[in-house]
Amino acid sequence: MKTTAFLLLCCVSASSVWAEPSKCFESRKGASEVKQRMIGENLPNVKCSPKTGAVLWWGDPFDGTVPMGDMPIADADYNRGKAVVKPRSDKVGLLPLCGETCHTGVLPSGFPVNKNPRQLALMHEAIALDATKLPHGRGAIWCLDCHHPKERNKLIDHRDNPVSFDQPQIMCGKCHGEVYRDWRDGIHGKRIGEWASTGTKRWFVCTECHNPHNVQHGERNRGIADHQPEPAPALPKGIKTADHERRQHGAGRH
Amino acid sequence: MAAPGQVRRKHVTNKEKICNPEGGCTCAGQAPGAAAAENISSRRNFLKSTSMLSLNSLLGTAALMTMSDDAQANTAWAEWFQGNYRLMSDEEKARARARLERRYTREYGKAVTVDGTPPQEGVLMGYALNIKKCIGCRRCAKACVEENNTSRGKDQEIEWIRVLKMEKGEFSQEKMNQGYPEGLGIQVGGNAYSPAGVVMEGEHYYQPKAVPEKDSVYMPIACMQCEKPPCVKVCPVRTTYREADGPVVIDYNWCIGCRMCMSACPYWARRFNWSDPNLPKEAMNPVTHYLGNRPRMKGVVEKCTFCIQRTRKGRYPACVEACPVGARKFGNLLDPNSEVSRIIARKHVFRLKVEQNTFPKFFYFMD
Repeated sequence: MKTTAFLLLCCVSASSVWAEPSKCFESRKGASEVKQRMIGENLPNVKCSPKTGAVLWWGDPFDGTVPMGDMPIADADYNRGKAVVKPRSDKVGLLPLCGETCHTGVLPSGFPVNKNPRQLALMHEAIALDATKLPHGRGAIWCLDCHHPKERNKLIDHRDNPVSFDQPQIMCGKCHGEVYRDWRDGIHGKRIGEWASTGTKRWFVCTECHNPHNVQHGERNRGIADHQPEPAPALPKGIKTADHERRQHGAGRH
Repeated sequence: MAAPGQVRRKHVTNKEKICNPEGGCTCAGQAPGAAAAENISSRRNFLKSTSMLSLNSLLGTAALMTMSDDAQANTAWAEWFQGNYRLMSDEEKARARARLERRYTREYGKAVTVDGTPPQEGVLMGYALNIKKCIGCRRCAKACVEENNTSRGKDQEIEWIRVLKMEKGEFSQEKMNQGYPEGLGIQVGGNAYSPAGVVMEGEHYYQPKAVPEKDSVYMPIACMQCEKPPCVKVCPVRTTYREADGPVVIDYNWCIGCRMCMSACPYWARRFNWSDPNLPKEAMNPVTHYLGNRPRMKGVVEKCTFCIQRTRKGRYPACVEACPVGARKFGNLLDPNSEVSRIIARKHVFRLKVEQNTFPKFFYFMD
C-alpha cells in the first residue's frame, strides 16, 4: 500500500517536472497567473521554474503595468510617476459578475446591509465555506468591512470611499498601518524594476502575495501561504543521500 | 567549448587526424614495390588508401579551414595573452570585450553582448535580507542560475546562493537553563527536545512538499561583498578585486584556478568550475558583463557579483526580483532614501561573522 502510494507520488512528481508550464504564476499560485510569450528576439516576458511554475525571471518588469494611484497619506515619500502596479481586476475571477448580476446596488431581498456575520449565498464557497468564521481577523471582521456594501466590484476604505481592486493597499493599510508604512518605504513587500530610490519600480500590492480571505493559511503562520520549494541543489560528488546533514538532536524531530 | 585552452586542444587533435592518413600514405606507397604478383590487391589497396587519403584530407582541410581561421586563432591567442582586466587601458578592455562577444555569439548561436559599464559615482551597493520572511523556497537560487549562466545539470551544478534550513530557536526565560543538546558540546539552553537558541547548523538538501515548515527558519547565504574581502587578500594573481561601487568581482581570464580565495572565504560563497560548465545554448542569458555573468570556462572560480550586468544598468538583482515574499532588498547604501538605508536605520540588523572583520555589505534584518 505504502509503496503504491510512493510510486504514484513519484509518477505525479515526475510528470510535473517534465511538463512545461504554459501558465506561470508570479507570486501566489491561483492569484497572479501570467502567460509566457516572447516580447523580443530571444527575450521571453518571463522565465518560469519547470518544477513549480513560479516566475523566476522577468524579461520586462513593467510588462502590463499601469501607474499606481496616489497614496492615501499625502506626504508619502514614494515617487508617484514612477511607481507602477499590475492591474488585479482580471485576476479576480468573479469580479465581472459582481455588481452586475446579484449586487447591483439594489440589494436582493433577504440580504440586509449590516456587518453581522451570517452565511453567504452560493458562489462564495471558494472564498469561505463558513462565512460566520472568517479566518481573516479571527471573527472580528466580516465581508463588508472590506467590500463595498453597494458596489461589490469595489473595496472600501476607512471613510467608506470605494477603492479599486487594483489598489487594495489603500484598504488594507487602514488596519495594518505599521506594515503599510514599511511597504510604502520599500521595506515590506516586493518590488521589481530599478533599484535606485528614484527609479521606476513595479510594486506588488497586498493581494498579489497574501490571500486576503485566509491570510494565516499555512504551517508556519506568517501571512504567506505554503509554497512548493524548488529542487534541492545537487549532492556533492560521491555522496548518495543527504543523511550526513540530518540533525541528531533538537526540534527537527517532532 | 568555452575555454581558449580547449580550442587549443581541439586544434591539436585535428592535427593528429591529419597526420594519420599521411602515415597510411607512406605504407601504401611501399606496397606496390614489395609484391608485384599481388598487383590487383595492391592496386585495390592503393585505390583504397588514396580514397581514404582524399576523404581524410578533405576532412582535414575542412577542419583546418574552421580551426585555423585567422580570426579565431587570433582570438584564442589574444585571450591567452591579454592582461589583467583592471590594468588594461579602456581601449584594450573594449577590444577584449568585442573579442568575447564574437566568440560567444558564434558559440551560443545568438547575439551576445559583453558589457563593461564602469562603477557609478556615489553608489555603494548593499543588500538586506529579512530573515523572518524567508520561506526557503529556493527561487532566488534558481533565478540566479537563470541569470548568471552558471553550470547546470547532473555532472556539475553550480548555485551561488545556498539556502540553509535551521531549527527555530526559542529564547524564552523558562527554557534558558534547562539542559544541553545531545551530541554538541555547546550549551544553547532549552533541552534536547526543545532547544532554546539556534545552533549554527543547517540543512541544504531539505525537500518537503511545502515550505515554510513548522519550527524552521531559513537562511540564504551568498557572497557578502565584503568591504575587506579575505578572498581578495589571498589571491596570488590579483584577479579578484573590489570594484569602486562595492561588489567583489573576478576577471575569469586572469584566474589561475588555485582556489585560495575559496578557502579564505568565511561564507563559502565561491564556486569552482571543475569541468567545462554545462550551459545549454537556449538557456544562455545573452546579456552579460565582463566581470559578471559571461560564460566561464573550466578551471576558474566564480561567485555572486550582485548581478553586476543588471545593477550597473539600474535593474534589481535577479534574486531580489524572484523572491516571492519580498525578503530580499537591494539598494545604494550612500542614498538615505534607498530601501537598504531605511532598513538599516529602522530595523534590527545583523551581519554574518562580523568578528572576522570582513565588513560585509549584506545585512540580515528582522521586523
